Amino acid sequence: MSIHRTDLCAGLVVSTIGIAALAGALAMPTFADRNGDPLTAPGITPGIISGVIAVLGIVLLLRAMAGRGPRDVPVETWPPGAALRTVFTIVTALIYGVVLFGQVPFLPATAGFVFVFTLGAELMHPGRSRSIVALCLWAALLAGVSALAIQYLFTDLFLVRLPG
Amino acid sequence: MDGLSQFLNAILAIGLSADIVTVFWATLLGIVVGMIPGLTATLGVALVTTLTFSMEQNTAILVLICVYIGAIYGGGRTAILLNIPGTPANAASALDGFPLAKQGRAGEAMAVATTGSFLGSMIGMMGLAVLAPWLAEFALDFTSFEFFWLAVFGVVLCGQLTAMDDPLKGWIAGFFGLLVALVGQESLHAYSRYTYGFTSLEAGFGLLPVLVGAFGCAEVFSVMRSEATQLVRARMGNVIGAAFSSLSYARTWVRSGVIGTFMGVVPGVGEDMGAWVSYAAAKRASKTPDEFGNGSVDGLLAAETGNNAAVPGALIPVLTLAIPGSAPAAVLLAAMVIHGLRPGPLIMITQPDFFYSVVAIVFWATCAMLVLGLALTRPLLWVLKVRREWLIGIIFVLCAVGSFAIAGRLFDVWVMILFGLIGFVMRETGFPVAPMILGVVLGPILDANFRRSLSLSRGDPVDFVTRPISAVIAALVLLMIVLALPPVRRGIARMMAQRHG
Repeated sequence: MSIHRTDLCAGLVVSTIGIAALAGALAMPTFADRNGDPLTAPGITPGIISGVIAVLGIVLLLRAMAGRGPRDVPVETWPPGAALRTVFTIVTALIYGVVLFGQVPFLPATAGFVFVFTLGAELMHPGRSRSIVALCLWAALLAGVSALAIQYLFTDLFLVRLPG
Repeated sequence: MDGLSQFLNAILAIGLSADIVTVFWATLLGIVVGMIPGLTATLGVALVTTLTFSMEQNTAILVLICVYIGAIYGGGRTAILLNIPGTPANAASALDGFPLAKQGRAGEAMAVATTGSFLGSMIGMMGLAVLAPWLAEFALDFTSFEFFWLAVFGVVLCGQLTAMDDPLKGWIAGFFGLLVALVGQESLHAYSRYTYGFTSLEAGFGLLPVLVGAFGCAEVFSVMRSEATQLVRARMGNVIGAAFSSLSYARTWVRSGVIGTFMGVVPGVGEDMGAWVSYAAAKRASKTPDEFGNGSVDGLLAAETGNNAAVPGALIPVLTLAIPGSAPAAVLLAAMVIHGLRPGPLIMITQPDFFYSVVAIVFWATCAMLVLGLALTRPLLWVLKVRREWLIGIIFVLCAVGSFAIAGRLFDVWVMILFGLIGFVMRETGFPVAPMILGVVLGPILDANFRRSLSLSRGDPVDFVTRPISAVIAALVLLMIVLALPPVRRGIARMMAQRHG
């Protein structure tokens, strides 16, 4: 049996989180110096839960090293082009959510994101039939209409203040 | 009789007011949400929650329950016509729905799915009306010991059932969710755990941003990761006739309705398992099990009855124990708290009117689902022709705006994206997301009740297992863990094989 690489990485991450959280829980105060009941100390529950996570992570690690456990993990069967589409989606989402949202006025930020996302996703589609000019026009229309509609829905109908 | 009259009054109150219009549009919205691949019931309920802030309490809950019921039903259409479940709850429906559509019986399949969903939801509603008051009364005897064990039971069971072939990953996900819930200021000493000086973390991770991230944002990444879908050519035929003919499978829909309701009650398990367990039971009981997977009407009916019966079933622990029966129910629970409602064992004493109005909402949403499902069979097909490339960007914007709208904090948008990435990585590496969400919901309950119990018992662990209800729940937790151990599973499989020759 070969080593299960995905589970090995997962086991390492999980056991590291468990051990780090356990160390954090042990460092929490008991408030005994303020006549607090040590049995209600804030670190008790996180300590036990992180201990369980660390143990489960180590079991996963050992199982992966022994080459045991189910092997049909989705990440190992990605279809062609999946990596490019995923990276594109994550990068554009991060740019919109972390950089643009709240820093740039809502309308241009949202319209810009929807335009770039729609155009990029269409260009990566293997069955694309429209020309680039037609795609740009369609993406621009979709971006403008959706940004205006979302702003109207939240600010005018549901009275939510939008950022930027 | 008192309960029955309150229920009838609640039905009349909705049926004879403008609320009935809300029922229809909200159910239609839910159906459309469920039909679009990439929009799950959880995401639909979470996004709509942000739109209900300015609504009246009862109207908001009415809208959310209608969206929930509609979305679970709508996902069946996608499963039948695209072979892709619109929501995870419709995965079992694709097994027989898509082969039926390929045989040119798409109209019949959609009619069967509609009847099954209607009947399942009605059985679930009866379960809700009968079981919830009983469970609430029973739960009045619960102390901190029982609530602690109930939280552990929920996480362990959900972890096991949502990752049947690998419970270890389900448990890791569940305990990780519990740990996530402990971030921020705790209730007894106001001590900030795992905040490392970040003031935004003092209040912990908001439940709705975490939910929208783990289900909505992660779904955005997953949908774009997968290949584009192909719509099957749909022949409608006699939809109404097919709907009536599926009534002849009485055993299937009664069995699946009961199983679905029960699976809904189990914490965190919900509609997906309701459909799968109902499907497996129907296959076992069928005289023609070979047809299952090749276009069996019986199989499709079982799956659709099971998943919709689980919706009212999932509301039972929400209303009586404040513990969600499924992921969308977790959002609903959060929405109830946001709108000032207090679900829990006291609900039948403090808010009996609200309880019966929830049962009446389920009744009307189910009726609206039947009418809309049968009347709009052909127009609703247009929803499936919308390309994912046009939708996904807008869905992500809604996730961001929805997370921001809850408290007006940019931090919640970042939390949503963080949990979107975590949810995506979990899915891709075989970890179920539902136990993590249940862990996030149950974390504060577990923490407060565990420390209260420790204080009451003066640190004696024996007290945790000597009270009768605690002992039973603790024994169940232990049994589940033992039965999931590989040597035990292998031994049971060997014994079963020997028994069947």
